[in-house]
Amino acid sequence: MTSSSLSLDHSSAHPSAQSSGATSGLGPWSAILLLAPLTLLMLGILLYPLGLTVWTSLYDGQLSVRAYGELATSTLFLKVLRNTIEIAVTGTLVSLVFGYPVALHLAAQPPRRRTACLIMVMLPFWTSILVKSFALVAVFGNQGLLNQLLGYLSGGQVNLPMMFNRVGVVLGMINFLLPFMILSILGSLLALDRRLVLAAETMGAGALRIFWKVILPLSMPGVVAGVLINVTLSIGMYITPALLGGRQDMMVANLVDFYTRQTLDWPAASATAVVLLAISGLLVAMLGRVRGGGLPGGAA
Amino acid sequence: MTFLSASAAPASANPVSVVPTVAPAASAMVELRAVTKRYGQFEALHRIDLSIAKGEFVTLLGPSGSGKTTLLNLIAGMIMPSSGQIVIDGRDATGLPTNQRGLGMVFQNYALMPHMTVFENIAFPLQVRGLARSEIKRKVTDVLDLIQLGHVAGRRPRELSGGQQQRVSLARCIVYNPALILMDEPLGALDKKLREQMQLEIKRLHAELGITMLYVTHDQDEALTMSDRIVLMNGGRIEQEGPPDTLYFKPETVFSAEFIGSSNLIPGEVEAVENGTVTLRTALGRFPVPAPDRPVRAGEPAVLLVRPENMVLTDRPGPTGVTGRIEDSILLGGVVRHFLRCADGTTVIVQELNQPGRAGARRDDTVRAAWSVEHGRLLPPPPAR
Amino acid sequence: MNPLFGSSAIARRVVTAAAWVCYVFLLVPSLIVVPISFGNAGQIEFPPREFSLALYRQFFTDPAWWGSMVQSLFVAVTTTALALLLAVPAAYALARSNLPGRGLLRGLFMMPMLVPVIVLGLGLYLQFSDWGLLDTTLGVVLAHVMLTTPYIMISVMSGLQHSDVALETVASIMGASRRTIFFRVVLPQLGPSIAVGALFAFLMSLDEVVVAYFLTGTDSMTLPVKMYSSIRWELTPVLAAVSTLLTVLSLLIALGIIALQRKTEAQS
Repeated sequence: MTSSSLSLDHSSAHPSAQSSGATSGLGPWSAILLLAPLTLLMLGILLYPLGLTVWTSLYDGQLSVRAYGELATSTLFLKVLRNTIEIAVTGTLVSLVFGYPVALHLAAQPPRRRTACLIMVMLPFWTSILVKSFALVAVFGNQGLLNQLLGYLSGGQVNLPMMFNRVGVVLGMINFLLPFMILSILGSLLALDRRLVLAAETMGAGALRIFWKVILPLSMPGVVAGVLINVTLSIGMYITPALLGGRQDMMVANLVDFYTRQTLDWPAASATAVVLLAISGLLVAMLGRVRGGGLPGGAA
Repeated sequence: MTFLSASAAPASANPVSVVPTVAPAASAMVELRAVTKRYGQFEALHRIDLSIAKGEFVTLLGPSGSGKTTLLNLIAGMIMPSSGQIVIDGRDATGLPTNQRGLGMVFQNYALMPHMTVFENIAFPLQVRGLARSEIKRKVTDVLDLIQLGHVAGRRPRELSGGQQQRVSLARCIVYNPALILMDEPLGALDKKLREQMQLEIKRLHAELGITMLYVTHDQDEALTMSDRIVLMNGGRIEQEGPPDTLYFKPETVFSAEFIGSSNLIPGEVEAVENGTVTLRTALGRFPVPAPDRPVRAGEPAVLLVRPENMVLTDRPGPTGVTGRIEDSILLGGVVRHFLRCADGTTVIVQELNQPGRAGARRDDTVRAAWSVEHGRLLPPPPAR
Repeated sequence: MNPLFGSSAIARRVVTAAAWVCYVFLLVPSLIVVPISFGNAGQIEFPPREFSLALYRQFFTDPAWWGSMVQSLFVAVTTTALALLLAVPAAYALARSNLPGRGLLRGLFMMPMLVPVIVLGLGLYLQFSDWGLLDTTLGVVLAHVMLTTPYIMISVMSGLQHSDVALETVASIMGASRRTIFFRVVLPQLGPSIAVGALFAFLMSLDEVVVAYFLTGTDSMTLPVKMYSSIRWELTPVLAAVSTLLTVLSLLIALGIIALQRKTEAQS
């Protein structure tokens, strides 16, 4: 090791050899000049406020972890945390159960039809979450389209409360999450070698067995990535629980807002935000590992 | 070990960096002096000395990994040497950025700007040089005529065939009259027929314009067809250099003999040296061979080279010949190639002209393949690996 | 015929049925706002009993509504322009230099996508209340530039990966300077990638609500914030008109992006 680094030092110190490897690449000074503005923005408008949040959660006249201690004993925080986990897990599972068949359906289509079907999946992806929230109220609300239809069919007997409660949050959530789940699983299914299915069938396997033994195991990377993406996105949800949930369906993000504006307890708001940041950081790291392990050379 | 070899490099390069233009460089377009390129511990090029005269067409030939492309990139300035000196047109260019070297380059994938028309592509280097609009138009039109592509001036590169694209890429080089044009396997992406046509076209342009050209290829036929001089590279070193027929008829190593043309190589041991003739003892018998220029002593190992086209099937006895059974004969258009299996298992290739009504030898015939003594060539044994 | 399920017809029917339930569930919320928006101005109705443009008239005559729309468009355009100016050079430098620490910088530039927006909203709220930037257009624009640069980076970096470095090399050999190479060789080729990134950033900024909700007040309120409080507190039918306008805009931008991506694919 030592001798090799010594010899390298010597060759680059030689007068006729340039220390910069390639002149056709960008020199270090021009690179720094081009990178500096964005780096400064990210330091000032991203890292600084994040640091400020951590600082606010730890400082009230002196450094202390009191805000965290109070969170740990706050019934409101614990209930909200449980809500968040329940809603995130429910939303993710429902979107997995419904998203998988959609991905299968898409994967089975010839390319042109697949593009057409994909547009149906992508349209909500492009639609503002406020538009979707408003529309979900219009469809699933008490006087909404679905209840009008149910009332008409049952002669005014049936009216299902599907908005401003847990059902509403989960409906809104899966409407938002489904495209991510579908696209993630679709990626795995399209990469799957179809001849394996053909081979399994030649050997006499039925559709169910093929699914359990061939398709599902081979699409697992997409499923795991989709689940992680969904959980990560849903634990930070703010708009959907605020607009489609009831008072009992508050999630962590709403609690941050509540502490910030209603009770003006900034240390509590910050501590809550830091907890959320830590959880989602963990999930993102897991996602990175799944992606890195699943795809050759993907992480690097 | 590495420490020692590295510290030796500066000392050897010192004299040349003091005097940028010494006498041999005066007529040379490119002069490489002890150029070495290392990547970590790996030495891609080892102390290369090479001089290219003005107006010369030189080909760097060699298998992949032999360092020929590294050498080209060093001259272009895309990478920097670990030690040594590069002189271009009498000027020390060792540390000079690519865009100040005044070179032209043609790539295998053409590297034409997809967002520019053919005209704009060729005009680009002239615009970079700040030429007047009218002069640019005149020069581009002239060069388009030269390559007979005036009718596609307004098209985008991807609307052209591969051959047309490569001609545009050539025109883009010629138009600003660089001191030296580097070509990195420029015909590698074309089919055989087009490739042969383009070889002639490039030769014609070279003859008409007198631009110095450095051409990289791994195709020996291309190198033989086009070059004034071939530089054969092997493992980061120059194996042998010289005009095409020298490399073909007077290879100095087994590697040269095998890389260019096909060859019969018969290993043996020198038995005697007398009157300019060496007697080589081999498993197939004792053969007289003309003594090479280098000194040879009895007892040392050596290899006898005979090109297949210098062998004939004959019944006449003579000092130089082997006997074997014909295992296979293949027809290559104008010639026939016989594969003879000798008693000890060696295969000898004999190439004969194919003539109508030829009453040739048949498979399984046992025949004698002979050559004239002066067609044999004594090579040193290949280095042990 | 259908190698994913073998030849089982039942399996195919089950999958197809489940898929179509999802398609409908995904599509309806995006589309249903359109018929509602042409209905009666008094209440939200589906199907509307009469066709009228009353809701659009209401939207464009209420300064609180169209004012916030103008504000949103201004913020989105400014954000896009600034984000381009920052992200395109940075992406180029990341792709074409061998500066140490490139991986770290790339991570930093991508971070806004990975941090929950509510956390950024709170942090910026704390920061901007110190700095006196709350309820200012500058504050929202700064935040949105930070939030949208990753999308431009991703698009431009992938464009750079697909563009041939040999073109830059050959331009350099022909004597072109770094500047000339960037403006005459690199930028023209990156055109579509930059446009895709810009459209994405524009749409992101136009639709962004959480951070804007924390940072804006009556003076700088953007359209999503106005919509948010309207859905929360009054649920006025005007929302249908706004939603339709936004959906049409999103659709146009999405189609633009798809067309541009097709174009880049056709080129490479």
